[in-house]
Amino acid sequence: MNRPFRVMIIDDEESARKLMRAAIKWDELGMEVVGEAASGVEAINIIDDLKPDIAFVDISMPFMDGIEFTEIATGRYPNLIIIIMTAHDKFEYARKCVSMPVFDYMLKPMVREEITKVLERVVVKLKAAPDYWEELETKAMVGGDPSDNSSDQIKKYLDENFTDSKLNLAFVAQEFGFSPSYLSRKFKQDTGIKFVEYLNDLRMKQAQKLAQKGTKMYCTASEVGIPDPNYFSRCFKKYAGMSYSDYMAENSKG
Amino acid sequence: MNNTTKNKKTISLSSRLQRVILGIVLIVTISFLIAVYIITEKERRDYAVRESESVLRTLSNNVITDIDNYKELSRLIMTESRLVSFLRADMNEVDISMINDARYGIMDILNVTEGIDTVIVMREDLTMFGTNRFTYTYDSDIIRKTAWRQDIYNKNGAAIVSLNTNGIAKKTGDKPLVTIGRAIYDINSQKRLGIMLMNIKAGNFDKMLFDLRSNDICIIGEDGSYLAGNKDYAQYFDENFLSKEIVHQPKVIGGKMALISGCQVADTPIVLLKVSNVGNEGIPFRVIFVLLLLLAVLVSLAFYTGIFIRKNITDPVFMLSSAMEKNRSSGELNKIDVDVSSSELMLLESDYNNMIDHVNELIGRLMENEKTLQKAEMRVLQEQIKPHFLYNSIETIGFLALDAGADNVHEALETMGSFYRNFLSKGGRVIPLSTEVKIVKDYLALQKLRYGDIIDDEYDIEPFTENAIVPKLTLQPLVENSIYHGIRLKGEKGLISIKSFKEDDGLHIIVRDTGVGMTDEQIAKILSFEKKDRPAEADESFGLWGTIERIRIYTGNKDAVKIRSEVGEFTEIEIIIP
Repeated sequence: MNRPFRVMIIDDEESARKLMRAAIKWDELGMEVVGEAASGVEAINIIDDLKPDIAFVDISMPFMDGIEFTEIATGRYPNLIIIIMTAHDKFEYARKCVSMPVFDYMLKPMVREEITKVLERVVVKLKAAPDYWEELETKAMVGGDPSDNSSDQIKKYLDENFTDSKLNLAFVAQEFGFSPSYLSRKFKQDTGIKFVEYLNDLRMKQAQKLAQKGTKMYCTASEVGIPDPNYFSRCFKKYAGMSYSDYMAENSKG
Repeated sequence: MNNTTKNKKTISLSSRLQRVILGIVLIVTISFLIAVYIITEKERRDYAVRESESVLRTLSNNVITDIDNYKELSRLIMTESRLVSFLRADMNEVDISMINDARYGIMDILNVTEGIDTVIVMREDLTMFGTNRFTYTYDSDIIRKTAWRQDIYNKNGAAIVSLNTNGIAKKTGDKPLVTIGRAIYDINSQKRLGIMLMNIKAGNFDKMLFDLRSNDICIIGEDGSYLAGNKDYAQYFDENFLSKEIVHQPKVIGGKMALISGCQVADTPIVLLKVSNVGNEGIPFRVIFVLLLLLAVLVSLAFYTGIFIRKNITDPVFMLSSAMEKNRSSGELNKIDVDVSSSELMLLESDYNNMIDHVNELIGRLMENEKTLQKAEMRVLQEQIKPHFLYNSIETIGFLALDAGADNVHEALETMGSFYRNFLSKGGRVIPLSTEVKIVKDYLALQKLRYGDIIDDEYDIEPFTENAIVPKLTLQPLVENSIYHGIRLKGEKGLISIKSFKEDDGLHIIVRDTGVGMTDEQIAKILSFEKKDRPAEADESFGLWGTIERIRIYTGNKDAVKIRSEVGEFTEIEIIIP
């Protein structure tokens, strides 16, 4: 693998994410930080787009903590290198709960030297392995029957299940027995819209309906499958062009 | 005897028992001796009494028989014809030849007998003669009076025994005589013709005594005059012996117990006295033997009881007591296991063991409570520290510093974060040496920020000691001590070196500083085990003392910490962890 390794930082503390981004000399390690998530919920929703090789996961996060996220991620992305970040008071707890194959546990507050050492080992491991994401891509190019109606089925499935916060591309692909890249490509081909956008549309439309009813934002967030209200708020603003409260004020039928 | 109560007034059961048993044995023995003495004395006396009575009766009978023989003889003489003629003749017819005839007549009869000294015959007109003409002197004054013959007259012809010729005559040499007297009556006219006195030699009795083989008998007249036998005993006569029944009187003669027995021979003035030594003959050996046997049985029973009580009560009590004492002095409250035979003592033992159980349970519960309390207090402390908040703050500020281009601030914060991460770490009390060294490094890095360049540090950690397990926070307090009580006081640049290596007796860690050093007194005081040398919590030496104490407790070795120093040069603290 010759491309820079893609790093994702999942931590509810913005300063911690920023510190990690700024303090580590990523380029020297042949890495780049491709994205951050402030919660497990957000991470689930963007991970398919970011396609990270390495994920730093903080244990204590609201809405979906590091343990829950790790459980989901190790199932869906078997090659993802997960490094658990934890403070001492949660360390033993994390070790007990996370029986999954994580790469290492690191103590907070972070010490550059320690992280660098771990990452050097990660590099060795990744260099030895083939590019996972590339492989998926290649597989997607070859397989599949363009005439089937799986995209309709997937649409139907999403219509019915979009409120599940754990839903994402990788999960649905697993459900239908496709590789995520193939599903993504085929879905786009068949429907003219990206899978992620379709799912987001479903949720946001539902959210708008709820907003019109005057439902509180955190309740709506939870109901449409994005139980992290901060992330939901950003998604909504992006989609609707205004904040949830503004939207609610403008469109309230009450 | 080990009297655990240490109370001198309390006499142990065992010695009390000894006393009681010795007392019983003593009383029994004394009673036995008294009983034996009484029985022996009585038996000996009874034996002597029986012996004496038997001899005296025999002798008395012999005397009576003898006297009766002489009486019979006197009757024979009384009827002798020539004597009768002499007595019947008128006063004027009596002449010398008639007297001689009568004398010869008597002497003819006397010839066939022995022991008769004389026969004296006296007519009513007081004309008299005796067969023994030469050895008697007569007292005519007494003869003329009637007093001496009144008793004879009163008998009306029957014989009467008296002494020494009734006092009317004296035998030459004052030889004692027994006299048989009787009045002679005419057969036809029944008229009293005269009196006959027959003198028997008291020497006859000697022969009799000789036949009885008795030399402890004395024959005395009723007036106390000696007649025959052992003359020495005549002195013991008194009127009590004038009795037909045998009288016994105990008397000490020549330092020996003796029994004087005596009686008067019936119808005679003769008294028999027998002195018998109370000898060993009467001792009832069989009775004494049985008594001895009984005593032996009693004594051995008493001793057996003592031994039995000792073996079954006092000895087990001592065993129990010493087991309990051993248990107490050992400091551990274990159950005791003593082999006691009696069920009552077993009850005591099991009660004790139950109590031990209960005490241990109570101690356990107390300790459990104490631990719970400590844990709770620890938790409160840790809650107060809130590491998570601290760490997040450090990271936030770290980013701010980094963002503002203050890389050194970020670096300092990172060190601080690392230090507190290890310093406050929960979990075990022990950590790998490498972690402890990391704490020290971070600590020194932070201290260097404060004090600038006055501290240098160097490390010589042998690689295979890095994973050795040490009690948490052993080095950091020593380094802290080196800074505050060593290097800073010196005012010049100092070096702290930390070294670790393994030897046969365990892991050695040396913390050395080039500070002001410590005096020998200071070293001795800080290493002292004495409670009085223990510094107060506010003392600046408390931290070092507490660390040393912790290491000693952890290693279980009082010599686990050594301090070497030279004042003004260096201080070196060595820790040995097995």
